[in-house]
Amino acid sequence: MLKDKIEKYLLSVQKPSRYIGGECGSVIKDKSKVDVRFAFCFPDSYDIGMSHLGMKILYSLINERENYWCERVFAPWEDFEAIMRENDIPLYALESLDPVKEFDFVGFTMQYELSYTNVLNMLDLAGIPVWAKDRGEELSPIVVAGGPCVCNPEPLADFFDIIILGEGEEVNLEIMDLYHEFKRKGAKRSEFLRAVSQIKGAYVPSLYDVEYNADNTVKAVVPKGNAPAVVTKRYIKDMDSVYYPENFVVPFTDIVHNRVSVEVLRGCIRGCRFCQAGFIYRPFREKSTLNICKQSKVLCENTGYDELSLCSLSTSDHSDINNMLSNLIDYTEGEHINLALPSLRIDNFSEELLEKVKKVRKSGLTFAPEAGTQRLRDVINKNVTEEEIMNTCRIAFEGGYSTVKLYFMMGLPTETDEDIVGIAELAQRIVDMYYTIENRPKGRGVQVSISTATFVPKPFTPFQFEAQDTKEEIERKQKLLIDSIKTKKIKVSWHNSDVSLLEAVLAKGDRRLSEVIFAAWKKGCKFDSWGEHFKFDKWVEAFEECGISPAFYAHRFREYDEILPWDHINYYVSKNFLINEDKTARMAKTTPNCRQKCSACGVVKETGVRCFD
Amino acid sequence: MIKVRTVFRKTGRAKYISHLDLNRFMLRAFRRTGLPIWYTEGYNPHPYIAFALALSLGYESDCEIMDFNLNSEVDFDEIVSKLNAVMPEGIEFISAFAPVNKITAIARSEFSVKMFCDDTQKLMKDFSDFLQRDSIIVEKKTKKGMSEIDLKPSVETSELVCDDSCVSFNVILPAGTQTNYNPSLLIDAFKNVINYPIDMVKICRNSIISDNGEKFL
Ligand code: SF4
Repeated sequence: MLKDKIEKYLLSVQKPSRYIGGECGSVIKDKSKVDVRFAFCFPDSYDIGMSHLGMKILYSLINERENYWCERVFAPWEDFEAIMRENDIPLYALESLDPVKEFDFVGFTMQYELSYTNVLNMLDLAGIPVWAKDRGEELSPIVVAGGPCVCNPEPLADFFDIIILGEGEEVNLEIMDLYHEFKRKGAKRSEFLRAVSQIKGAYVPSLYDVEYNADNTVKAVVPKGNAPAVVTKRYIKDMDSVYYPENFVVPFTDIVHNRVSVEVLRGCIRGCRFCQAGFIYRPFREKSTLNICKQSKVLCENTGYDELSLCSLSTSDHSDINNMLSNLIDYTEGEHINLALPSLRIDNFSEELLEKVKKVRKSGLTFAPEAGTQRLRDVINKNVTEEEIMNTCRIAFEGGYSTVKLYFMMGLPTETDEDIVGIAELAQRIVDMYYTIENRPKGRGVQVSISTATFVPKPFTPFQFEAQDTKEEIERKQKLLIDSIKTKKIKVSWHNSDVSLLEAVLAKGDRRLSEVIFAAWKKGCKFDSWGEHFKFDKWVEAFEECGISPAFYAHRFREYDEILPWDHINYYVSKNFLINEDKTARMAKTTPNCRQKCSACGVVKETGVRCFD
Repeated sequence: MIKVRTVFRKTGRAKYISHLDLNRFMLRAFRRTGLPIWYTEGYNPHPYIAFALALSLGYESDCEIMDFNLNSEVDFDEIVSKLNAVMPEGIEFISAFAPVNKITAIARSEFSVKMFCDDTQKLMKDFSDFLQRDSIIVEKKTKKGMSEIDLKPSVETSELVCDDSCVSFNVILPAGTQTNYNPSLLIDAFKNVINYPIDMVKICRNSIISDNGEKFL
């Protein structure tokens, strides 16, 4: 039995409890009574994957169906992987400890580009061919993917049988139902895949041929048979009737976010032009306060967690935020539960709520102006003014904080040296303001931390056309920023720009990238998002061997009439709207948020209902 | 405030829960039982729970002890069933009662040990020779760093039994607030003197013994 084999080695690896399952809340079924088995794979370590909310939702959703069984799978850390490979232990799922290869579905959630190599590694550990074309005609396992990264599915297209676009609550079950039917008929894989391509939201990459122009841009994406020419994402209409779990799997080991998370809304009204999530999750939909409070209470009771967090792109935009927070704070205080509040726009809070919030907020203050000058903030449509930044910091300082962390991006479209110097100046003004406050924390100096990331242009944003700065340019700007800082009270840190380059290439790539991902994985790349594992030199070799230039994907402005690798994918936001937004950005003009005024992004055309009354 | 002592088993998958994780897990579990657990007072109130002995990662046990306080009286059987209702596979409460013996009275623990390997006859002979040595020097981590100790005077083993798959025996070792020796210390020392591998070792705590030589429970 696989279990005995696993146990033989478990005590020689770090944190063995992540490899054996058995946590409270995990679902065990009798497999003889189950028709369809789904291995939900998170392509990163247990500690990261178990913090992920989407997985919890889909896990419970599938398990609600008596005859379907969803189990969890994570990437084993290198110590255990070595043991697995040495002793022929295949990748297995944590509930049954059965090999993943025996499952009907093997599904991956793609949350960040730097997890792509882990998918290949996990398939390989499972003994499943990494290339979809090598999986033959046997029906199972069907390898599927979902998650935000697959809005441009092309770099991963050749590894997956089905790619699920948009929100999974409905379409996952539809696909499993169809599969169940085909399994009973004893159908072949290709028959099922052809049929599944007719389900809205299910993209079957093998049913499309991609043609290229001489200049390497995409010429056409041609569907085969009756596969739809454009594949459209799925979304959930009503957040109050959509399924939400009443229990979570509660890990024994401490993981990144070990707490109850309740989703309060989906989508975002803001339209920051660099933010992919802000566009691909449209339209904006919220849960009622009543439901949020009910779900929070049920989950806290069932899991026993003593921490609750609210999950969304922008919780402060909930139309009933004051009332909601007030209720939740009252509940959590009474139950010894810590309410973890995300970064909130506190400018529209009542005095009374602010007092309450201050009481429960323990972590430091973070703020994301993203750009150093008002002009550049207008370019990216980050609707926050210097006055608001100052005000928020002032309130925080008066409330006893003496450190703030500010997030910025570098290499934004139209950025000049003035904008970079502007970051340092803004930080300096915050420092100066601190010393004008009379009741500032006594005996403590102020500390302003600046964290900068290299801008990564992403599909389905107005900046999808834009080029990323080269490494040389970013390094020059980093130096300029350092030189502009005049005090030790301001500290600067940045992300590795090689990482950002790779993210841009994988985010905006086409199908030819799959060869590169494969080559990089063969050279030993995995866990790329873990600094100590990131091997950029191996990636560079992989690009060279495949004859693919990263600069072509990352550093090139794409003309508005170029066919983009993801143009046959419909995420509701129209290309015309994105073109207009990019043009507006270049004029440093802002676009009002969805609540103020609808900008006709294309969502209403698809949903048929107005986003706001 | 009512003091409660509980005894639970930790077996199967649950043996991979570390002591620290178990502590955290129990705090969460109490929230789900609805039992009127007593919280410490002060700036950061938290439920008060205490384990008599730590159990090494990977060990099973039939007799783990957890003490806690309740704000009001609850029937002991009900405490057991409420706790069991929220336990994962492998943790099972056996009893709850008002504590009589002090935790500090714990002096030793008895473990059953099973060593698996191909040639169990040879393993038994080698281990038996090993136990006959005048001294069994092992390295042990202490607060001051690594130090050498002689296990020999503190080890009490039962007769060795051997079948096709494993060699088994019981061993009694010091346990408690002062000195804690694990069977792994003994087995690791043995592994150092043989030149073949032991496939797997299974260890389970069977009982806890007081300083007066009687069973603690
Ligand atoms: S249709 Fe209008 S309101 Fe709806 S998401 Fe698009 S811009 Fe916003």
